[in-house]
Amino acid sequence: MTRDSTASLSAGRSLPQLAELLYVLVRKELKARYKNRFLGYLWALANPFAFAFVYWIAFKFIMRLEIENYSLFLITGMFPWVWMSVGVTGATRSFVINASLIRKVNLPRAILPLGNVTQEMVHFGFALPVIMAFLWFAGEIRPMPSWLWQMPALIALQVAFVYPMALALALANAYVRDIEYLVGIGFSLLFFATPMVYPITLVPEAYRHWFELNPLHALMQSWRSVFLQGTLDFNHVVHAIAFAVLTGIIAWWLHRKLAPRIGELV
Amino acid sequence: MTHAVLCEGLWKTYQRHRPVGVKSLLLGAGPPVDTRFAREWALAEVGFQVPCGRSFGVIGANGSGKTTLLSILLGTVQEDRGRVGLNGNVASLLELGAGFHGDLTGRENVFLYGSILGMRLAEIRRRFEDIAGYSELEGAMDQPLRTYSAGMIARLGFSTIIHSAADILLIDEVLAVGDARFQVKCHQALHDFRKRGGTLVIVSHNMKEVSEVCDEGICLDLGRVVDSGPMPAVAARYQERMTVAGPAKGGARAAR
Repeated sequence: MTRDSTASLSAGRSLPQLAELLYVLVRKELKARYKNRFLGYLWALANPFAFAFVYWIAFKFIMRLEIENYSLFLITGMFPWVWMSVGVTGATRSFVINASLIRKVNLPRAILPLGNVTQEMVHFGFALPVIMAFLWFAGEIRPMPSWLWQMPALIALQVAFVYPMALALALANAYVRDIEYLVGIGFSLLFFATPMVYPITLVPEAYRHWFELNPLHALMQSWRSVFLQGTLDFNHVVHAIAFAVLTGIIAWWLHRKLAPRIGELV
Repeated sequence: MTHAVLCEGLWKTYQRHRPVGVKSLLLGAGPPVDTRFAREWALAEVGFQVPCGRSFGVIGANGSGKTTLLSILLGTVQEDRGRVGLNGNVASLLELGAGFHGDLTGRENVFLYGSILGMRLAEIRRRFEDIAGYSELEGAMDQPLRTYSAGMIARLGFSTIIHSAADILLIDEVLAVGDARFQVKCHQALHDFRKRGGTLVIVSHNMKEVSEVCDEGICLDLGRVVDSGPMPAVAARYQERMTVAGPAKGGARAAR
């Protein structure tokens, strides 16, 4: 006789059961969010485009930075960035917000932050055709055959990269509620440190190798090079995978240590 | 296979882990709490067994540890000491509408809740007509759940859970909101559920109801089992104590 704790990764459920549960949870969030919204999912596109537009005005017109294809540079980084930052920020709060799910039903808890990451992945998927159209019209970059394998690979890499971070922060936030605010501030700082609004070549050479250590840079640069050149830098991919594996181990360990008590903390 | 639920020497205290803020991390959390002599046990040395196909009642004053006990059986709260053994799939009806979403329709919520209970989507699709028919809410299935009354939500939740493949049902006082006719229907369904070999653990303050539904049960007071045996007798003794002496002093302290 055993009991499957909700603090275990699967809570005793099979893989198809978990996949369907994830599907239902993500569909719930998306449906609830876009019900009674006339423009529906177009709102998911509005934010990244608005941000990109603001930075384009600021850097191209006001500061007059000489950056080639700056609008393309901004757009191709902005969408993967928003997927990651909005997904992780939401996931950090996921245990606290879904307290009734945590306390009153035996749901595998680790699926909640995965839901946030998946939800933002779906938004990113919705945005892909729009990004591609933008690249075509504004930069004469036609869809490339290599995208057929590069994009799915990068999407998988980004999920593996983002989910451990999301899970670890969600667990920690149940114990120390300040973390959700720190995450917001952290992503604002990282946005400029990664960097997202200027190419890393603008960083003075003396400091540049520090910037290049940032695994977020490796991931975001991979997206840009796939979108703009159809190439993937092997070093960047290995860098991102290494980070995903490292955070994966940390998140797994944290989950084992912290998950059992979550039910009485939220 | 004899027992569906087996608890041995369960101990639980809520004192040791609390959410901490950055302030307390930076400034120190004050003197550490001595847990060796902590008296405020949410549960202390609780043990019982429920054979398959039987119905088990848990009664006691507010804060006596009933919900904690169900949460531990469900696996959402972890015991400090002791052993819990369950034979079969557990499903819970601990809170009205837990797992439901107000903006989704009744139909969508059945799929959501069914999935949370561990049902496959194909299975829910196959049983959907039964679930909707049983709840008698067919006319409201495409309305958002926020337009439902508490009684309607209880009907939807109960209909879904009774059609799930659970072997053990944990129910915390949520059936009381249905109207009289639906309560009769609930009791019939719970009776049929046990006929099929299902096991029930019910928390209730309605002594008449638990005496009718449950074969055996325990009475908790300040986290300890103070009485056990055939449910009608336990309920009668509890009622007697409550009316004569009032609830135990400080009975609501361990409330959670």
